[in-house]
Amino acid sequence: MNRRYLSRSLKAWAFLVPTLVSIGIFCYWPAARALEGAFTTWDGVSAPTFVGLKNFDQLLHDTIFRGAFAHLFWWSIIGIPTGIGASLLVALLIYRLRSTRAQYWFRVAFTLTLCLPGLVGILTWGVFLESGGVIDSILGDLGLKGLETAWLADPHTAMGALIFMGFPWVGAFYMLVFYAGLQAIPLDTLDAAAVDGASSLRRVWHVELPLVKGQFKVILVLSIIGITQNLLPPLLLTQGGPENATWTPVLYMYENAFEYAQMGYALAIAFVLFLVSLVLAVAALRFLRTDKDTRKTVA
Amino acid sequence: MTAIARSSRGHRVKGISHYAALIFIGVLALFPMYFMAVSGLRNGIQLQTHPFSLSFAKPFGTFYSQAWSYLEGDFLRTGLIIASSVAGILIFGMSSAYAFARMEFLAKGFLFYAIFGLLLIPSFLTLIPLFIEVKDMNLLGNPLSLILPYIAGGQAFAIFVFRSSIRDIPEELFEAARVDGASHLRMLLRIVAPLSRPIMIAVALLNISAFWGDYVFPALVLNPISPTIAMAIGNFTPPPSVPTTNLVNLEFAAYTIVSIPMIILFVIFLRYFISGMASGAVKM
Repeated sequence: MNRRYLSRSLKAWAFLVPTLVSIGIFCYWPAARALEGAFTTWDGVSAPTFVGLKNFDQLLHDTIFRGAFAHLFWWSIIGIPTGIGASLLVALLIYRLRSTRAQYWFRVAFTLTLCLPGLVGILTWGVFLESGGVIDSILGDLGLKGLETAWLADPHTAMGALIFMGFPWVGAFYMLVFYAGLQAIPLDTLDAAAVDGASSLRRVWHVELPLVKGQFKVILVLSIIGITQNLLPPLLLTQGGPENATWTPVLYMYENAFEYAQMGYALAIAFVLFLVSLVLAVAALRFLRTDKDTRKTVA
Repeated sequence: MTAIARSSRGHRVKGISHYAALIFIGVLALFPMYFMAVSGLRNGIQLQTHPFSLSFAKPFGTFYSQAWSYLEGDFLRTGLIIASSVAGILIFGMSSAYAFARMEFLAKGFLFYAIFGLLLIPSFLTLIPLFIEVKDMNLLGNPLSLILPYIAGGQAFAIFVFRSSIRDIPEELFEAARVDGASHLRMLLRIVAPLSRPIMIAVALLNISAFWGDYVFPALVLNPISPTIAMAIGNFTPPPSVPTTNLVNLEFAAYTIVSIPMIILFVIFLRYFISGMASGAVKM
């Protein structure tokens, strides 16, 4: 290692200093404390006491925690496929329009939904789901008056209502990513499919979907991470109730930390949730390994 | 695109069904926005009896003006917090992205993974220790308690996107500058920064819209007396002069007011919004 390389390195590090200092203090330090804190009892004021695996042992017997994971499971099983599916469907429909002008305006229309801050969207849906709210009046108009209820206040429907929120579940960001992926498909691939006389559905299945596999992978991982940390809907609308029907792990973490001052226990929940989402994300990446990746890793 | 095969009747029917499906889904997706904006103009009784009709409360826009007087002071505060955070993300992010894209140095690989590893750390994991850290720094109630974590948290993604856009800049431009004896800093300021304007705007917009709606962390660290706009909405406590029947309408008016700045930004920067959203992910 010569001196010129070293001085060049120093110069480059100077460019990196603000980033490294800020993420060191506000990202890595808290992350390290989070992992450490999971093995302590801590009220957030005095120094934490190391207690080994006690928090995790307690979690095993915590029925609210187990219920919370069950809710997250259902939320993921229903929410992730519908969210990705709706976004992909809209991207495909837009991509198939012949007029590029119409394509543009439909993309604009769907992107407009991003202007609604997440918080506002959730609160608005909260009003929709109230007894006699928009959902109930639509049901009434459809002649389904018997189904009307205060969706978020009834333990049988509250979790389902949270999952249903955001209907028709088109994520503008996901839609734009899929659309950009479809745009990148070489036209001769499509022409070849057209010459072969591939039907519309077959074209989707055999030509378009395989080519957006890369985007699909990214979005699947983002969805998994996103749904595990989806704190706002239950925090703003139900706080885990009624009758513990809407606890999710991240909400339970939040309440333990900031309502009961059980920082250690809360961090143990965060630890478990982090591991679970990491394993699922890695599994999703493995499962969807594309040929392109193998080539990339070789190169 | 060949026009020959496309004008057949079957294709046209399919085209129309695509339009119909898109319009149907689009109307459903945009319905909450429409309903919110319109309900802010109506009173509680009108909303209860005919949820979807277009009869308005008198005087016209009364809930909007009431909501505005409640939120007015929080707009500037939130704007300043977001502007400083975004400026920090762009400046620090550009500087680091330049080093990764254009320079060779010791421990480059390690530092690269150290920064992108952050994308794997979910925000819920750091929420609690970050709150305690900010508290221990005596920053609770101070806008810096929000700005500093925002700057740190927004960088990994910004660097990721900037790095690939800097790599797309033609080498000849740098070559010419090097002949003139330009330093790295000069090349960053004179070549990279001007050419990166679109991608910087896209990253700024993404962050602005995320910060604008952020509720959980601000509600923990800021004083409820001087809240961000999202906190003000989340903890909406109307003045007692508003009858409870009209509470929902006042809330809807407030929600709409909060969404308007995002709509304005969106309309001005439409191009960047649409291209920028997809650019980072496509390159993954």
